[in-house]
Amino acid sequence: MAATVSADRILRELADLWVAAGQEQAEGGLGVLRACAMTLIVLAEETEDMEALGETIAALMPEYPARTILVRLGGTGAPALAERVYSQCWMPFGQRRQICCERIEITASEASLADLPSILPPLAAPDLPVLLWWRSARLLGTPGYRKLAAMADKAIVDSSGLEDEEAALPMLVEMAQGEPERAGRARPLLGDLSWTLLTRWREMLSGVFESRECQARLPDISNVVVAFAGFRPPVFAWYMGAWVANALSDAGAHAYLTWQPRPDLAGRALHVELTGGDFRVSLERHDDRLSIEAGGLSHCTNLPQPTDYLLMREELGIVRRDPLFERTLATAARLAAASIT
Amino acid sequence: MHLENPFQDPLRFERRMPECAIVIFGASGDLTKRKLIPALYRLAYDRRLAAGFAVIGVSRTPLGDDGFREKMREAVRDFSEDTKFDEDVWNAFARGLFYVAGDAGDPALFVRLAQKLAEIERERQTGGNVLFYLSLQPSQYAAAALGLGGAGLGKGNGWRRLVVEKPFGRDLASARELSEQIHQVFDESAVYRIDHYLGKETVQNILAMRFGNGIFEPLWNRRYVNHVQITAAESIGVEGRGAYYQEAGALADMIQNHLLQVMATIAMEPTASFRAASVRDERSKLLRSIRPMAPDEIRVNSVPGQYGPARVGGEDLPGFHEEPGVDAQSRTDTYAAATFFVENWRWAGVPFYMRTGKRLPKRVTEIAIQFNPAPLTLFHGGAEGAPNLLILRIQPEEGISLKFLSKRPGAGVELRPVSMDFNYGSSFGERSPSAYETLLLDAIVGDATLYTRQDMVEASWAVVEPIHNAWRETAFDFPNYAAGTWGPAASDQMLARRGHAWRTP
Repeated sequence: MAATVSADRILRELADLWVAAGQEQAEGGLGVLRACAMTLIVLAEETEDMEALGETIAALMPEYPARTILVRLGGTGAPALAERVYSQCWMPFGQRRQICCERIEITASEASLADLPSILPPLAAPDLPVLLWWRSARLLGTPGYRKLAAMADKAIVDSSGLEDEEAALPMLVEMAQGEPERAGRARPLLGDLSWTLLTRWREMLSGVFESRECQARLPDISNVVVAFAGFRPPVFAWYMGAWVANALSDAGAHAYLTWQPRPDLAGRALHVELTGGDFRVSLERHDDRLSIEAGGLSHCTNLPQPTDYLLMREELGIVRRDPLFERTLATAARLAAASIT
Repeated sequence: MHLENPFQDPLRFERRMPECAIVIFGASGDLTKRKLIPALYRLAYDRRLAAGFAVIGVSRTPLGDDGFREKMREAVRDFSEDTKFDEDVWNAFARGLFYVAGDAGDPALFVRLAQKLAEIERERQTGGNVLFYLSLQPSQYAAAALGLGGAGLGKGNGWRRLVVEKPFGRDLASARELSEQIHQVFDESAVYRIDHYLGKETVQNILAMRFGNGIFEPLWNRRYVNHVQITAAESIGVEGRGAYYQEAGALADMIQNHLLQVMATIAMEPTASFRAASVRDERSKLLRSIRPMAPDEIRVNSVPGQYGPARVGGEDLPGFHEEPGVDAQSRTDTYAAATFFVENWRWAGVPFYMRTGKRLPKRVTEIAIQFNPAPLTLFHGGAEGAPNLLILRIQPEEGISLKFLSKRPGAGVELRPVSMDFNYGSSFGERSPSAYETLLLDAIVGDATLYTRQDMVEASWAVVEPIHNAWRETAFDFPNYAAGTWGPAASDQMLARRGHAWRTP
């Protein structure tokens, strides 16, 4: 592996890709259409399933065409860097011209992490947002993370990969609210896939309270139970409880909130129940469906199992502040801290 | 009491339907099974329906709730093109489907409907909100609206709205009369006249492109725009709808509603806000600014057509007269082209050419805005005469292209036209909602932006009616274009008189 990579060389190789595509057009082909709406930097550990990650990135491209810079982080030896450049193309159904996105792959040893903040900025597509998908939980919150996040408009992390999930919440608060790495530049927005995971659940629960009858029962709710798999509440269970608590508090309800381990649940499944008097709302997943019971009416809807693709698809669409997430994160961190003490 | 839903998250949640019942008149018809129920099922599949939701189908066919559910199940299986059929989602959805049999002209039907609605409101917690959808023969619209009023269904515990399918009237007088009858029961603000073209993503995107960007609007006027061409071509014939079509014709079926609405979207002034009233006010103002044609103008600025038989791609295609259900002497226009002028400061003198027809070479709907040439010709030879064009494609490949000239690489200065393309499907690969999903959701949340208002309908008829009348009084030599061609020669001449030519899309 070479010790250096050159941004100029990478950009020249990218330009050559499009010249080759243009020649195909000149020779009578339909050529290709270059699509780019953002720069997506993906930082992944070399030990990850790169084929699966590649498929996830490829699946995201039709909706969020991007110049993708995949950084494969591996090896603890001497500083080492290598790169390759290629394009990802697809033929939209019913059309005759391919759409192509640029992909740059950089392999870096851990000792080269410090070099990345100088290599990546010139590779970003000009005038378009830069999003950082930080898949390596191990290095979350480190100076390396902060330096790379500083060049991004938004950093997307997945707190469910952290070993000590309760310690994760204060760290996430610090990442969301801490001082920006560079003076005069806005702090990057923060997204956590553990929060994204809950969107469809929250949407269904919210849908229940679109009904005036159910809305009128809000102040009666006195108990909220968030049941989860395992022994300790995962971050997304803290988020769910905190979000419900905030909403009920806004509605003037004072509910008792509990997190309960439930042996019959597995993985990232949840069961959420709100009760008060004879009023009960419950949400539970069965395979690809979510069942909702509210005030005597039952309802069932499609809820695909969350995949990296589905979660990222949502996060890439939000490149602005998410005040509700920020508030929930702060509440979740407070509730988690209180439960420890 | 707390009035807002404290669980809302507008940044991440999809727009959802509030609790309500939808009453579909004409529930045995094609539109219900092909479009409406599949669109509602899709909304259920996508978690957009509230638990307190119900559909009541109404039509003359004797059926019970279960029979209706069974028919709709088949419809969803057959016509939900890009939605998986999920048994559990369907079962939950089907529990909210009901049926009432009867004739829209029979007052007893509305009494039974009122009873059913009261039961459903109690059991399904629909909050008393009801959307009535008229998917009937146009001649029954007034009877249905008045029947609802007679049974006291025009008002209730929640909101009441009425969706009316096209065509809204046969001419200006009948459109006005129908509005007056409907207004006996529903206020204009509760009347939603559907124009599914306005529900198409790309038509909505015209507004986003014009008013969300700063670079287009300065050029969007008579100083820079040479002319505008609006084309809505269909490659198919009347496809079994011959009996209906020969009563309507291309001018009334397409130009009076869809294409004039598209033109209004292209040419209207910027709105003060994106609220329904503001957008509709501007569309209406534009429609009222289109100059109605005087009789002598109609001869030179409009062209009717009717297709004759032809052999296309190895297939013998019938002429309009040979189509099933069509009168062999029919003088119906299967093609219509017209040149309109807008009488305001922005567009004075700029021709808006419009054409639509059946059995044209391909299915395409697009708007081409041709800009004036550069004021001085610096480059000679090659393609310097090629105009700058901004093309807004509505179907089949939604997108926007800008055509301009560029120097060809190499020695010398030779220009060649190049195209800068934005493809809606490639930049936003997600599935676009169908026009009916968008429009149903809009009507239920009370957003009338994409629906036409009485004054807009009347303004469109005021433009089209003189042409319609003149065509009816003229014996044209039909058929005047062969199936599979771009229409009558007179249509080309209409543009040639001003030094223009139709684009070949």
